[in-house]
Amino acid sequence: MDDLLAEFVAESREMLEALGGEIVAWEADPSDRARLDSIFRFVHTVKGNCGFFDFPRLQALSHAAEDALADVRANRRGADAALVDAVLAIVDRISDMIDAIDRGEDIPEGGDGALIAALQPDGDAGEALAALPVAQGERPVRAARAQRSVRLPVELLDRVMSGVSDMVLARNDLARRLREHPVAASIDGPFDRLTAIIADVRDAMTRTRMQRIDHVFAALPRLVRDLSAELGKQVMVDVDGGEVELDREMIEMIRDPLTHIIRNAIDHGIEAPAARRAAGKREIGLLTVSARQSGNRILIDVADDGAGIDGARLVEKAIAGGLLDAAAAARMTDRERCALIFAPGLSTAEAVTAISGRGVGMDVVRANIERVGGGIEVDSTPGHGARVTLRVPLTLTIIPALTVAVGAQQFAIPRSSIEEIVHAADDAVEIVRLGGAMLATVRERRLPCLPLAQVLGLASAVADAAHTLIVLRLAGGERFVLAVERLLDHEELVVRPVAPAVMATGLYAGTTLTDDGRPILLLEVAGLAAAGGLALEPQDRRAPARPAAEEPAGPPVVLFIGLDGRRRAMRMAIVERIEEADPAAIEVGPDRDRIVVDGRIVPLAGGGGAVSFEAPLQLFRLSDGQAEIAYVFRKVIDIRALAGEVVAAALPGEIEGITLIDGEPAEVVDPHWLFARHAAPPIPAERPACRLPAADTWMQNFLRPLIESAGWRVLDEHDPHRADVEIAAQGAGLSPVGAGRVIRLRAAPEEAPESEGSVYRYDRAGLLAALGAGRRA
Amino acid sequence: MSVAGQASVTEGALLLIVAIGGERVVLHAAEVRSVVTIEALVPVPCAPAHVAGLTALRSRVLTAIDCRRALDLADRVVPPAETGTPAVVVEHEGHGYALVVDAVEDVVHAMSAPLPVGVPLQPGWQRVSPGMVETAQGPLLLVETTALIAGPATSRAAA
Repeated sequence: MDDLLAEFVAESREMLEALGGEIVAWEADPSDRARLDSIFRFVHTVKGNCGFFDFPRLQALSHAAEDALADVRANRRGADAALVDAVLAIVDRISDMIDAIDRGEDIPEGGDGALIAALQPDGDAGEALAALPVAQGERPVRAARAQRSVRLPVELLDRVMSGVSDMVLARNDLARRLREHPVAASIDGPFDRLTAIIADVRDAMTRTRMQRIDHVFAALPRLVRDLSAELGKQVMVDVDGGEVELDREMIEMIRDPLTHIIRNAIDHGIEAPAARRAAGKREIGLLTVSARQSGNRILIDVADDGAGIDGARLVEKAIAGGLLDAAAAARMTDRERCALIFAPGLSTAEAVTAISGRGVGMDVVRANIERVGGGIEVDSTPGHGARVTLRVPLTLTIIPALTVAVGAQQFAIPRSSIEEIVHAADDAVEIVRLGGAMLATVRERRLPCLPLAQVLGLASAVADAAHTLIVLRLAGGERFVLAVERLLDHEELVVRPVAPAVMATGLYAGTTLTDDGRPILLLEVAGLAAAGGLALEPQDRRAPARPAAEEPAGPPVVLFIGLDGRRRAMRMAIVERIEEADPAAIEVGPDRDRIVVDGRIVPLAGGGGAVSFEAPLQLFRLSDGQAEIAYVFRKVIDIRALAGEVVAAALPGEIEGITLIDGEPAEVVDPHWLFARHAAPPIPAERPACRLPAADTWMQNFLRPLIESAGWRVLDEHDPHRADVEIAAQGAGLSPVGAGRVIRLRAAPEEAPESEGSVYRYDRAGLLAALGAGRRA
Repeated sequence: MSVAGQASVTEGALLLIVAIGGERVVLHAAEVRSVVTIEALVPVPCAPAHVAGLTALRSRVLTAIDCRRALDLADRVVPPAETGTPAVVVEHEGHGYALVVDAVEDVVHAMSAPLPVGVPLQPGWQRVSPGMVETAQGPLLLVETTALIAGPATSRAAA
């Protein structure tokens, strides 16, 4: 295939990928001009590019979609659901065709005419689309591509990377020789510079391997939309943390597991709308996908607010399937019961659906994640939802490690597994031998102890007491102690995979080279424990359940970050839904803000007096059953229970008080105040008028905003309209037009009232009361 | 037994003559990346017996395969090489291997495709060889590198 064509395929895919989220957003709000524009640009570009090649069908499709969208842009027609569906169908078809072109196959026949007909304003899109052989379910997941970039073959990058590694080794070798054979001091300067340059290049090369996790996340809104449509569920997806970067290869490794977990969550987790209603939940399920970096690991959370995992049912199935005996089952904690979903050959699905019944279970997901050095955990609250957490290393290739020695041989241990290092001779440490086995007591904790030499079958001439003990923690939280002869160093190691024959021992996770070019084996911690014959039990089987695992006691709240960056909590009960907000839809008013949602104007809270808003914004749609208000904020953190005490705020206001959630303070939003303040009673047809002297700057600057925010019109003394109230300073003249009532302002509280109805000018409550009296008059 | 992507030996192909367990055999030169001398080997505890250890070739880690053990010929006494251990570097499924041999001798042209030997070979040789090839230096046994890497059945089972 010639380069131009490859370029065309790549460019189209890049745009398709970027379009994934836009399409869903457009569907949610067909009047959204920005989304419309980007979809228009896409079909326009495809059409234009088709001109260079001979793809008449692709051209006809993109042309038709372009025409229809151009009509919408020119306001010649509205964007209704039928049009959205028709355009989406065309975008899908274009995507299929591009795949076919890439594979060098013929484009599958048929259906184009119906697609184009569905675009017509009077065309029955539903019927036309229903007639199509729609490719349901899994679309081939396409490889991610860099966003704005030069395309490079991966092999070339790897070659450069390995060249850089060689360079580092050569430098180290040279450094050693320079130490052994001192040379002229004039060498030192250039050598140091060389060292710095190499470090820089290595750093940059490492970063070229990094990609934003957005490459995976961008496709999720579309995936969720398609799946929920297929399953007749309503699911809203909230994606967060797309800017987190990780190794390109790692991104590819998590793509399938993540997709699978999301399928599971929608298929098994989130209930059908009717069931949700019956359970007292909102019909729309919430799926939250977020990524964050924690040390040298990336944590990816997939949380849903569905039915949760039925632990009892899993246990039942496991017993029926012979995976578990009843006695063992009785001893299991809730957490362990949930973890049974990772057991091979177990599915709680009553019926095998097209979505999750593909023969790939969570066991495969876990195996794939563990293969890249990651871990997976699941947490569930029956009735309230489940959360799956993936932990993957930042990169497959560079990991911080501790090098240790046994005899003459060196090994590396990934630092992420190391909890503590103590010396056997330390007072806080005790080692006992029982029937040839070793137990170490470290800080009152008795742990099984494995001498590394013994596990590996190597001779060791070092006495027990001279060992260094490394407390290791496995992914499941189990701990054991590894006794090594000597600690060597902490290093960042470039890890390579090992040959299958070596991998098969289960003891090694990879190899690496020391500075002087000797290979070192990276130990696989879980494999060592297994080889040492340790039957490790998860910690929480013996320990009492941690408080965090308890059932949430208080009402659920949505923990979120406000526009001012503060952590806040909003009671779930009043949240109708959470959605993205478009800054352009917000209208900043003098007294209160408003936002246009679903074609209506809704009072907006949470703005905190900001005069402009920047994306990303999210919106709570709040309801007290009658009135609706919107609350704008930065992003959702999580859903938690309001379990702790709420310390009341000093002043009534938006914040009801402060509470501790996860050990950190969060401001609890006061729903009563919010609705009292923002759920405005219908604006009266004619607002009362108040006359203020135009020349009095204090009144214009200080008083006027207060009066306006209380719902009054402000007139000046020459306005011929009748004013309900006139406000004037004590001793000042009044307007000739007259007013229903006069309020005199005293400059100081102690100043003697000149007349009834005079108020100290900073007595806010008195002023408002006097105004209120004037309105009634 | 040949692996997809590896051209099979045809007449005229280049062959590398090596000695394994005191026997002269040929490897398909197209599979050979380079011939090196291994100076240091890092043993891999608990690995199958035919895995001699790891060695570094520039920044690359190679898994060294002891060909004699891969053929169950470990008991054959071979005089140690004078300087380092000669090895043939090959690549298989993305991993680099150094096949440790007694000696690397010469390169010849194949004068035939692999032919059946006609008499039963010893079990080790039987497993790694698709047959013999006629060369200017007489008939020589062709050995498949992938079979050497896989090792004897016993160590595979142990793994």
